[in-house]
Amino acid sequence: MPDMDVLLAGLSDAFSLVNLLFVIAGVMVGQFVGAVPGIGPVMAMAIAIPFTFFMPTLPAIAFLVGVNKGGLFGGAIPAILMNTPGTPDAAATALDGHPLAKQGKPVKATKMALYSSVTGDTFSDIVLITISAPLAVLALKMGPVEIFALMIFAFSVIAGLVGDSMIKGVIAAVFGLLCATVGIDPEHGTPRLYFGFFELFDGLPLAAVAIGMLAVSEILRRLASAGSTPRSAITSLDGDDPTVSRVSWAEYWSCRYVMARGAVIGTVLGAIPGIGSTAAAFMSYASAKQASDEPDSFGKGNIKGIAAAESANSAVMGANLIPLLVIGIPGSIAAALLISAFKIHGIQPGPLLFEQQGRLIYGLFGAMILANATNLIVGQFSLRLWTRVISAPESVIFSSALLLCIVGVYMSTGGLFGVAVMLVFAVVGYVMNVFGFPVVVFIIAFFLGGSFETYLTQTMVILDGDLTRMINYPIAVALVVLAAVSVWWLGFRNKT
Amino acid sequence: MTANRLSGVFVACAGLLLLFLIIPANTETVEYGRMRPQTIPDLCAILLVAFGALHAIRPRGEVTIEWREVLRFGLFAVIAAVSLVLMGRLGFSVIAPVTALVVMLLIGERRWIWLATGALIIPAVVWLLVVQLLERTLP
Repeated sequence: MPDMDVLLAGLSDAFSLVNLLFVIAGVMVGQFVGAVPGIGPVMAMAIAIPFTFFMPTLPAIAFLVGVNKGGLFGGAIPAILMNTPGTPDAAATALDGHPLAKQGKPVKATKMALYSSVTGDTFSDIVLITISAPLAVLALKMGPVEIFALMIFAFSVIAGLVGDSMIKGVIAAVFGLLCATVGIDPEHGTPRLYFGFFELFDGLPLAAVAIGMLAVSEILRRLASAGSTPRSAITSLDGDDPTVSRVSWAEYWSCRYVMARGAVIGTVLGAIPGIGSTAAAFMSYASAKQASDEPDSFGKGNIKGIAAAESANSAVMGANLIPLLVIGIPGSIAAALLISAFKIHGIQPGPLLFEQQGRLIYGLFGAMILANATNLIVGQFSLRLWTRVISAPESVIFSSALLLCIVGVYMSTGGLFGVAVMLVFAVVGYVMNVFGFPVVVFIIAFFLGGSFETYLTQTMVILDGDLTRMINYPIAVALVVLAAVSVWWLGFRNKT
Repeated sequence: MTANRLSGVFVACAGLLLLFLIIPANTETVEYGRMRPQTIPDLCAILLVAFGALHAIRPRGEVTIEWREVLRFGLFAVIAAVSLVLMGRLGFSVIAPVTALVVMLLIGERRWIWLATGALIIPAVVWLLVVQLLERTLP
């Protein structure tokens, strides 16, 4: 049971005016970037992280959470109006959203996406708030050996689930770990792999690598392919009949089972590192179609199809934070970016957070609930504005985003060296994408690399250099066996 | 040999290069402690060789290379690198508008209102945000 003083102090921080304004700003930015095909909340979070250096911790994290939550709904807008998902997880929303828009009900489709997105997200947040503290207590009972084994397990699951090849996933993870070793060795204090650049003594800058691989790489790719694929026509909101544009309570309530199923699927999959919201959305959509009395109506503008996809993909967000807060392992790229934001503000994610930073964590929980309410309100009123955003030319959007990346990394690393690192990793990210090596796995491994080495060092000391002594740690053994099973199951069995 | 298989060969060769050349040349040798500075990098290099070879032998997934996109990506990466070098010499306020303008023209933007927005208004807003509002310096 959390200390009530800490809980109330955290919630009062969350509901302060400054924090509220940052949450609103985050949600607006998120919906804006989500609505622009090709940018998305992950790129926006990566670009925004350097700008949060100068904010107090809770507003900074709350702003990023707002960006992510806003982006989850924002991605549905172009999916419905243009049949071009703003984010990959909105692809399932387009299956029924766009046909409904073509039937003259674009506002109804978008509002259903908003309501189901907020419903799924709120459910997931409640699960996070309820179970993360008790799980953290359990996690605190684990020592370095168990945590090291847990990391091995997490890496094997992430490498197996992301991308189309387990081997490529492992290569990406190993490359991420290798890049994390640049800088001062934690045990001996000797520099390694710095190639004569003293700026690398502190390691490769997190923000530069993340922004380079997630944002600049994608911006340059979009610039390179600009003009080769013409944009789809936007279904105008103006033609929507006001009498059918609203989603009635009866319609919302008729989707309750679909949304509940979607929220549960999203939450469960979100809690497993590496699966992501796209899989959750399609799984929820498929299960809603299977359970429906009218499966033939799916794909032709069925409102339940939108509810299923949006509730599931949004439910992933809160659940992604469960492994992050409980054991310090990010479940997704957005969670990995949140880790970097935590680290920038001097906070180490993991089970000790609840003991050492309880006020911040309960503030974060409050901010998440606040962001859901804000998402609902902002989404209601700014729909027409985001429709205009979709029509903005790519030339302005991507050249501006490139400038923001350069400025953001310059500010966070304090010089042009970091910007050069960013450009190098943009090229690395592009090459990895071209050859199908999952960038997500690389980033997660890179972010966890430091902790991985620390826990491995501690494990070697505890086991006196003899890994067979791990047999005395049954939980660690179970986790290593699970890792081996997942490698076989996810890699060599399912992807042959 | 397909591009997919070649990527495995490349990874394995990179691993060998790391293992025998790059890591020994850039890591100090320490003869004490359970973990040496080169332990994890060496382990990573060995895994890269092993999995790179495995991928070269049994490649999975599809790789399709759009050479036009790759070349254009290279062009924009070079523009970004050149603007970075010039930004260090001439400053953000001179180079940012030029970079934005070149990028916009290269992807076919010809409408003066959008060119002005991207090349003048956006860099000015960024400058105001960073220098005036956040009170940080720009190159």
